[in-house]
Amino acid sequence: MNTGFKIDCIGYGLFAAFVLLVMPWMVDFSGYELNSYARYLALGMVAAALALSWGTAGILNLGQALTFGVGAYIMAMHLKLRASESLPGGMPDFMGWTNVEALPWFWQPFHSLLFTLGAGVLIPVGIACLLGVFMFRGRITGVFVAIITLSLMLAVQLWIISEQRFTGGENGITGLAPLNLFGWSVDTYELSFYYLVAGCLLAGLAVGLGLVRSKAGLVLRAIKADPERVRFFGYDVARYETLAFATSAGIAGVAGMLYALVLEFASPTYMGLSISLAIVIWAAVGGRESMVAAALGGIGVNMAEGRLSDLFFDQWTLMLGVIFIAVVLFLPRGIYGLVATARDYLEARYTERVAMALNREQDDAARPVADRGEVK
Amino acid sequence: MAALTLDALTVKFGGLVAVDHLDLQVRDGELRCLLGPNGAGKSTTLDLICGKTQPTSGRILLGNQDITNLPEFKRARAGVGRKFQTPTVFKDLTVIENLEVGRSSEPGILTTLRVFRSPVRGRMKEVLGLVGLENEIRTRAENLSHGQMQWLEIAMLLMQDCRVILMDEPTAGMTVQETSQTASLLRELRGDHTMIVVEHDMTFVREIAETVTVMDQGALLSEGSIEAVEADPAVREAYLADTGDEAHA
Amino acid sequence: MEAWVNEIFIGISLASILLMVAIGLAIIYGTMGVINLAHGQFVMLGAYGAWLLQTQYGVSIVVSLPVVFLVVGLVGFVVERTIIQRLYHRPLDTILATWGIGIVLEQLVRNVFGSSSRYVARPEFLEGGYIILGAHASSYRLFIIFFSLGMLAATWYLLFRTEFGTKLRSVIQNTEISECYGISAKRVYALTFAYGAGLAGIAGALITPLVSVTPTMGTSLVVDAFLVVIVGGVGSLVGTAASALMIGEATAWLSYVLNDTTGRILILLGVIVLIRFRPQGLFPDTVRR
Repeated sequence: MNTGFKIDCIGYGLFAAFVLLVMPWMVDFSGYELNSYARYLALGMVAAALALSWGTAGILNLGQALTFGVGAYIMAMHLKLRASESLPGGMPDFMGWTNVEALPWFWQPFHSLLFTLGAGVLIPVGIACLLGVFMFRGRITGVFVAIITLSLMLAVQLWIISEQRFTGGENGITGLAPLNLFGWSVDTYELSFYYLVAGCLLAGLAVGLGLVRSKAGLVLRAIKADPERVRFFGYDVARYETLAFATSAGIAGVAGMLYALVLEFASPTYMGLSISLAIVIWAAVGGRESMVAAALGGIGVNMAEGRLSDLFFDQWTLMLGVIFIAVVLFLPRGIYGLVATARDYLEARYTERVAMALNREQDDAARPVADRGEVK
Repeated sequence: MAALTLDALTVKFGGLVAVDHLDLQVRDGELRCLLGPNGAGKSTTLDLICGKTQPTSGRILLGNQDITNLPEFKRARAGVGRKFQTPTVFKDLTVIENLEVGRSSEPGILTTLRVFRSPVRGRMKEVLGLVGLENEIRTRAENLSHGQMQWLEIAMLLMQDCRVILMDEPTAGMTVQETSQTASLLRELRGDHTMIVVEHDMTFVREIAETVTVMDQGALLSEGSIEAVEADPAVREAYLADTGDEAHA
Repeated sequence: MEAWVNEIFIGISLASILLMVAIGLAIIYGTMGVINLAHGQFVMLGAYGAWLLQTQYGVSIVVSLPVVFLVVGLVGFVVERTIIQRLYHRPLDTILATWGIGIVLEQLVRNVFGSSSRYVARPEFLEGGYIILGAHASSYRLFIIFFSLGMLAATWYLLFRTEFGTKLRSVIQNTEISECYGISAKRVYALTFAYGAGLAGIAGALITPLVSVTPTMGTSLVVDAFLVVIVGGVGSLVGTAASALMIGEATAWLSYVLNDTTGRILILLGVIVLIRFRPQGLFPDTVRR
């Protein structure tokens, strides 16, 4: 199962260099654009999260933005409470406007930074675990998973919009205080914040890669190919699927928290249909089979959008649609597919040569091929 | 002692009784061949044992354990392995990855999350040698020949190390040479594993069989040594009544 | 009493709109397994077609229907021949490609007609309404109810009583054998997709008096139509009709008893539970096997 582990590590290393050095270098390690770049990284992270469940386990989650949005709201709730300390009852302004008498109980714990950071990961994971058990125990697959995840996301989005008293409704949660991370006041336009986001992204990818390259990841790939067959080997398929689904949700939750930090507000559009499908698009463009490629897809498409939408305004949408159709038609495995094909070709050439060399040796010495030993 | 006992096992699909009060006992280490004309319920019987199909009534005992109501993965953990008719290996995975999936003595997440290597030694090396795939460990399964795929699936079952192996036409689509290699492979496995083999190829059956069970229309028709079964007039009648040509291929 | 009848009528009216939008989708999904997320944009094209014909040539909606059907059908035909055709062996990828198609169509319409909402007048002879059992029923809504049933019947007739339908069903069951008998699977699929798109166009034209016409109107419609198709059961026209009625009535009643948003949330949750415990739909598969 370790075929390609080395290549994964190289890819990961190159990606880390790109994110840590090349991207900040492009804007001379400072300035307004670092904030946009941090935003691209957060979006790349959620694309990578989708690739984990979709590309590895074959679970097409059309509601990925749900866990992303939940993460964003959790961060925004904490920052809103900090911004509202001087207001009557310490309540957010929108609660005051709608005559809420006291801060609701489910807002209370978000005074605590530690609780917020934990909740930003664990609540998305919890949602995904419940939904995962609910779906996968019933052997729901394919398009039905897509519809269920999509419907749940839309239901939550509607609920958030309708409960304006507690959630800020259509406007979302705005007017946030800056994050104070254990004494460090985070300025989202500084290099240090960019590196915070990059660090989270790389950590998320490392967790994902660890999962994908372990035997559990191997079982997930087998499940993607033929879940029935995997059951007959004694694996609890539903549990494995839930594992991938929940890990993906946790990473998306962190991405959402970072996104709320970057944009300095949380809005119900974060968990809408458009962004959910956009996430799928980014992952497909980069390559759904690899989290790193999907992250690059998310970063690349958004960076292009940032540049090109200034040039072409609305026509960018048109171009995006065309590019996307082209990718689905001609690059079904995304840009990663191109790389992987090239890699397989080189690998095949290499093994061919090794085999030929070995044969020659064999003929010369008329002795059996030495034991190959461990496969790495 | 019986490794596997079927007790009045019955399954109905709508009005059709596919398996009808089937009683079967397979000894530990036995290689049992399951014969019968098309539609006799052989594959369905295997489906019932491995949990792909739920019986309408009756019981399935593995050793002393009643597995009738267990889900598939728990039956697999209890020791039932299944080889399907068309080779069902994971085509995108390499040979060694397929075998690693097969090596499922510890199928829990907490274990599999900590495994990162598939060393080719011990049982893995032994099995690779048995099925002759030592030089193909890095080959993706889709690039194997049909016969090699069949062997890979058998090898995966060996890695699974199950008590009872159910094989549905293991030689389907194999060349004569591959068939005879498979026969010798099965003879080697006999004793260590209990096997139930559904097969149409009578030459192959003669090569491997100890006891043969013949089914017809979902029920047990005859059981005994291959000679005894072939002499049984009921068996002859069942095969002659069937227009299929597989009886004495 | 009046309130009750009124709610039932609103439910049926909602159901008829859902049904019109969903039939085309059900045909395309049920026969080809293509998840057509551009369906909402086909509906939107139909709506713009009706608007254009009315504002430019003063044509009533009812008269514009054949034109809209043909034009949107043609768009569908082109989309199938150029894009969808290459994706039949990758059904989940059709979700992605058709979403892309939807984005493109939406932007093209925005380029040509702008983003502002447009309004289309209902035909004069369908102004006014009737009092049925004490409740007011507008004649246009009644017309849509009957028209949607007509579309259902026509589609059923096409599938089960015409040579084309026989060919289509044989292609669905076994493409290779059908081709051996001289049926061109490509042609059959392309025409079916065009037919589904044309129906979407008709639906779009007919709902113009009831909704505002904007480039983005398709997105919410396609989600609802999709839920209807999945809940109804893939490939089952009866199922689609039954689930449209169920979802329409549920929407009407839940909005009446609670409120619009809560009603919709409950429906989404209900759909989730239904799919989980009955993924084959209310009326499982009668066409595809």
